[in-house]
Amino acid sequence: MLLFGVALATRFYALDQPNSIVFDELHYGRYAGLYQKQTFFFDSHPPLGKQLLALAGYLGGFQGDFKFDKIGSSYNASVPVFAMRSVPALTGSLLIPLVYMIMLQLNYSQWTAALAGFLFLFDNALLTQSHYMLMEPILLFFAMSGVLCVLKFRALERSGNAQAHSYSLRWWGWLLSGAIFLTCALCVKYVGVYSYLLGLALVGHDFWEKVLGNLSLSKKQVFGHACARFFAFFMVPLMVYVGVFYIHLSTLVNAGPHDSAMSSAFQASLEGGLSSIVRGQPLEVVHGSQVTLRHAHGSPCWLHSHAANYPVKYADKRGSSHQQQVTCYVAKDINNWWIIKRPNRTDLAVAAPLDRISHGEEVQLVHGITGRNLNSHNVAAPASPTKQEVSCYVDHNVSMPAQDVWRVEITNREEIGDVWHALESMVRLIHVNTSVALAFSGRLLPEWGHNQHEIVGDVMVNQPNTIFNVEEHRYTRNEDEKDRQLELMTTDFIPLEPVVMGFWEKFFELQIRMLFISNENVQNHMYTSSPWEWLVLTRGIAYWVSPESNAQIHLLGNIFVWYSATVALGVYCSLLIFYLLRQRRQCYDIHEEAWNQFRTTGEVLLVGYVFHFLPYFFVDHTLFLHHYLPALAFKLLLNAALVEHLYYLTRLVFAKQFFNWMCILIVLTWMSGILMVFNKFLPLSYGLGPMNASQILDLKLRETWDFIVHKP
Amino acid sequence: MWWTLFGLILIATAATRFYKLDQPDHICWDETHFGKFGGYYINRTFFFDVHPPLGKMLIGLFGYLDGYNATFAFEKPGDKYEDYPYMGMRAGCAIMGALLVPLSFLTVWEMTFSLSAATFAGISILLDHGMLTLNRYILLDPPLLFFISASVYATVKFHNQRDRAFSFPWWFWLSATGAMLVGSVAVKFVGVFVVFLVGFRAIADLWEILGDLSRPVSYTVKHFMARALCLIAFPVVLYMGIFYIHLQVLYLSGPGDGYFSSAFQTHLEGNFLHNASTPREVAYGSLLTLKNSVTGGGYLHSHMHLYPAGVGAKQQQVTTYSHKDGNNRWFIKKFNKPTPLWNSSDPIELVRNGDLIRLEHRPTRRNLHSHKEPAPVSRKHYQVTGYGENGTGDANDVWRLVIESGAENEPLETMRHKFKLVHYLQNCVLSTTKKTLPKWGYEQQEVTCNPNLRDGAAVWNVEDNRFPRLPNVSFSAYKLNFLQRFLEAHAVMFSGNAGLKPKDGELTSRPWMWPINLRGQFFSAGEGVKIYLLGNPIIWWSNLVFMGFYLTLFAVKSIRDRRGIISSPQQLALQERALSACGWLYIGWLLHYVPFWGMGRILYFHHYFPALLFSSMMSGVVIDYLVESIPELLPSGIRNSAYHMLVGVIVSALFYSFYLFAPLTYGMSSGPSTEPNSTMHGMRWLETWEF
Repeated sequence: MLLFGVALATRFYALDQPNSIVFDELHYGRYAGLYQKQTFFFDSHPPLGKQLLALAGYLGGFQGDFKFDKIGSSYNASVPVFAMRSVPALTGSLLIPLVYMIMLQLNYSQWTAALAGFLFLFDNALLTQSHYMLMEPILLFFAMSGVLCVLKFRALERSGNAQAHSYSLRWWGWLLSGAIFLTCALCVKYVGVYSYLLGLALVGHDFWEKVLGNLSLSKKQVFGHACARFFAFFMVPLMVYVGVFYIHLSTLVNAGPHDSAMSSAFQASLEGGLSSIVRGQPLEVVHGSQVTLRHAHGSPCWLHSHAANYPVKYADKRGSSHQQQVTCYVAKDINNWWIIKRPNRTDLAVAAPLDRISHGEEVQLVHGITGRNLNSHNVAAPASPTKQEVSCYVDHNVSMPAQDVWRVEITNREEIGDVWHALESMVRLIHVNTSVALAFSGRLLPEWGHNQHEIVGDVMVNQPNTIFNVEEHRYTRNEDEKDRQLELMTTDFIPLEPVVMGFWEKFFELQIRMLFISNENVQNHMYTSSPWEWLVLTRGIAYWVSPESNAQIHLLGNIFVWYSATVALGVYCSLLIFYLLRQRRQCYDIHEEAWNQFRTTGEVLLVGYVFHFLPYFFVDHTLFLHHYLPALAFKLLLNAALVEHLYYLTRLVFAKQFFNWMCILIVLTWMSGILMVFNKFLPLSYGLGPMNASQILDLKLRETWDFIVHKP
Repeated sequence: MWWTLFGLILIATAATRFYKLDQPDHICWDETHFGKFGGYYINRTFFFDVHPPLGKMLIGLFGYLDGYNATFAFEKPGDKYEDYPYMGMRAGCAIMGALLVPLSFLTVWEMTFSLSAATFAGISILLDHGMLTLNRYILLDPPLLFFISASVYATVKFHNQRDRAFSFPWWFWLSATGAMLVGSVAVKFVGVFVVFLVGFRAIADLWEILGDLSRPVSYTVKHFMARALCLIAFPVVLYMGIFYIHLQVLYLSGPGDGYFSSAFQTHLEGNFLHNASTPREVAYGSLLTLKNSVTGGGYLHSHMHLYPAGVGAKQQQVTTYSHKDGNNRWFIKKFNKPTPLWNSSDPIELVRNGDLIRLEHRPTRRNLHSHKEPAPVSRKHYQVTGYGENGTGDANDVWRLVIESGAENEPLETMRHKFKLVHYLQNCVLSTTKKTLPKWGYEQQEVTCNPNLRDGAAVWNVEDNRFPRLPNVSFSAYKLNFLQRFLEAHAVMFSGNAGLKPKDGELTSRPWMWPINLRGQFFSAGEGVKIYLLGNPIIWWSNLVFMGFYLTLFAVKSIRDRRGIISSPQQLALQERALSACGWLYIGWLLHYVPFWGMGRILYFHHYFPALLFSSMMSGVVIDYLVESIPELLPSGIRNSAYHMLVGVIVSALFYSFYLFAPLTYGMSSGPSTEPNSTMHGMRWLETWEF
């Protein structure tokens, strides 16, 4: 309780200071604001943490009117900073009692449990992270609660009368709450999946040992146990995960800033935004339709042309057709409009009866502004010489005939039907003369093509880059300027059935986009670090700096804690290898009880650490110090556990009471050292000020720590 | 029986591998690189490649034995060989590739001592078009695959000597394993995965030995030392030996020079740095050429052209440029004094660490300058320009010299020192982003001032230093010893590998496509004969099925054991045999396949083939298990015939599929398979196959 009290005090101290945007509050605060406005946004992390922030903001009276523009700008009165920051602060404080209980559950003494709490409490990185609207404290809270529940469940499994406990209320309670908490961790950030895997591994291991290995259980009983665990660890998480997204998608119904990351159909299902543009637009594409064609997969862009020709010679001396450029342009533009026509007709106005275009039919595409036809021919494309050039046909009178007929292939006609629909039909345009498909190549054109994306004819038809869909759509009303028969035409408009996307469709689309689109673009951020550097705390992250003085917030661990935890990790592993080798030779150095405890510690904490740390070596995106915190949590627990084990070893080796006291004395000194370092770096954790340059430089214990000194 | 089967397989191997080897008589696919690189060993020219040298050395050797004099240019795929002797190189590679079949046969034999398992494994390697096509051309894959499978064979053979520890064959196979491991790593770095496999195997063996309580611990230590010697020490020496030969043989300056540091280049005959001389220290008034020390970095350059309107201030451009040129020369001077004259009699002042300096571009007499304007391409950095007239500029021309890990006041030395230039007023470092400038910058590379002082690309060194008043020392003083060159060659290879990133949106082969044989690779696509690298779909897909079968069998057996269910001893022996062999092969497959998922590098279809070796051998073992145990389920009367029928069906299916797809390997001459009249029309089972 004392620890918890101190935790609350430290986490809530000066919580609304600094009253300005700190680091990623920029994103998370903005997302919370968008929740208040029910506006759709796209983020590659799952939504639970942001939902909690938004809930706190809602309770605090946040209207979502604040604009989160850049780190350091001040909040105005409309933002309930205290309320929103209290979510991470509260979860961050709850961590301390949680780790206390985890250590008790691992059969460690109260002192060791308190020591673990102490390490968590006085680590500056955990403090800083819990002080602002960031995801890690929430993630850690769920992960640790989950681990605790799983450990409680294990205790039931391993107790003397496991049989009696099976399927009891407590048994189900711990199992289910463990699974739910771990899934919640996963729903805050995807790295929570490692916590989930740890839980799964522990439960699976016990199943193997205690249930499958227990020959007194009948086949039926074993099967029942397997089903119960399967239900708890697969079905329940699935329900929780889908539930979280259900709330997400049913809350965010308005169009917002990130719509273009999603497919046209998805956007059309949102209020405002695209749906306001496409409202009332006809559904079926016919002869005379004016359309914009959107590249359907990957980065959004629209088929585009403009009044400029391909250069006669490229930089690499290859020649071109010198016809009009066709590109894929990432912005909405008047030049994105194309008119669909039948090859054998010359009139363009849409007249009843509608001449619908269906799968397999041949069409021409006329560029709206320049009136030239989409064309392709056997000339190498500008940036991808192995592909075929696509142009708007210009007759240079060099015996290069127009090859401007394309065949429409609707790829999802099983669902949509054979008739070409705006938005919904996914279309491939196959060049009739050469059988290539109109494709987005992914390369950028140089200066002459205004750095727009290249469009090519690709022999490889069956690939996502060849799929387009009609996004904006209207019927051509007048044959030429004089001939205005608009009023007649409007009556023929097909009333748009509002595009309703079911939850599951939206859910799966969002999942796929989240998995495959990384929207981060911070490759050369100042404060990135690599996994190896985390072990020795090479770099921190500047979170915020005061405009008036050198007061600043810098994410930095308590270096004393971090170093001792790294050393403890090494010592634990060496001891483990030593014991294993000795036991292989049938030498048992420590009591069985102590060994069992030591082993269980490894199963939970060391494996947990490895699960949360190792994967970072294999990921490709930008990494920051705060990615290490989940692994660090396990490492700190391991550190506390090791202290008790060493104390046990001292008692084992030395009979004298004197050494015990020595041991305790060393631990106490170590703890006071931690306190001192914690205190020294406190200003950086809270952003207390004002500070002058020399005070900052005083804290710069390592050359690689880049504090900001911008005032004397 | 054993010898008959083995002999038959050998004959079939030779026949398939050498049939039409000289076709197509033009450069196929990557032959354009490796044929060229092989030739460089013959004419002794230094080159750079991201892979270690052994494979190319072997290709060079094959060519040399065939009398090839490295005069063919290997310009681009599709070029005709005409009269040049290319068959030596092809035959050498084909022999190495052909050896895969007997090696797999023998490996599985040693693992299971089951003739049918060994035969099936041999056949599934023999009849795979992918293995066949990939191993007939001048590529690095035949030697790589050869060394990998030889390592596996040697280590299995060694394992089987375990009852005769420290005997001669034991030592022989142990050191053979080490030697073959070196071979795989020294051909391509992906060969390192087989090292892990052998390492795990060694650890497992040691763990076994340690558990034998009848022996003292020292016995385990002895075993450990033997393995450390043969699997660590000996291979390291051998590996370095290969690089030693590589660096000794290639002593002439060539296309690879630019990738290496100035000091490295002094070794290459014909390079302008070879046997040149220059003052050791840099004094104020020296005329310098500055080279960016990052791999492949250019020279600091400026020219009489201004940044165009709209790109920062309209001042003179500063870039990096990779060629030697008068515009790369800069005078170094004190920040508060004009350039001292070369013939003055003032005392010589050396440039020291921490000094404030200006750099004056010699041809235009403008100072290196930076100011708070965004750089042309990297908008977060500051623009660097040439500013001032006749050497007079302003306070923004002042830079502080910081020598990397240099002592205070240490004089700056040519070549030896790497340094950063920190802008005095803005506190940013002179750096190059390696991004190409548009047309107005003559497609040279962008130079910026980066406010992040830790920028790894912001390191420079003095390559050329002219100052007549200081004595010249020969460049040989900067020569690197072998170890330094060895390490530098590795740094350059690694950074080259890391640089092979797919461009945004570019279609690349992804690991999940490989095992399902989704898409092949054209080896020769032009007019005439077409070759398409694609696995035998029957073999590839059944490999996956058998792998699933193995995992199921493993799980079922583990659960049965756990539940104490006892199988018949005959069944048990059969399972043990299959499972223990499959276990190691499966680990081998995982080790050669899974790491590719985590690689950001650009990947190709042929990266899967080492893994395929393991999965094909595994299929051999699993097929053997199946044909042995399925007839057991039948009534005893028809067991024997059922067995023979199964074997017959499997073998003939394999041979028929080989015959069916053989044109992929030996050349298709008709049009694309999309056209119905093509001979390959019916064979396009997957739409993604592009032949």
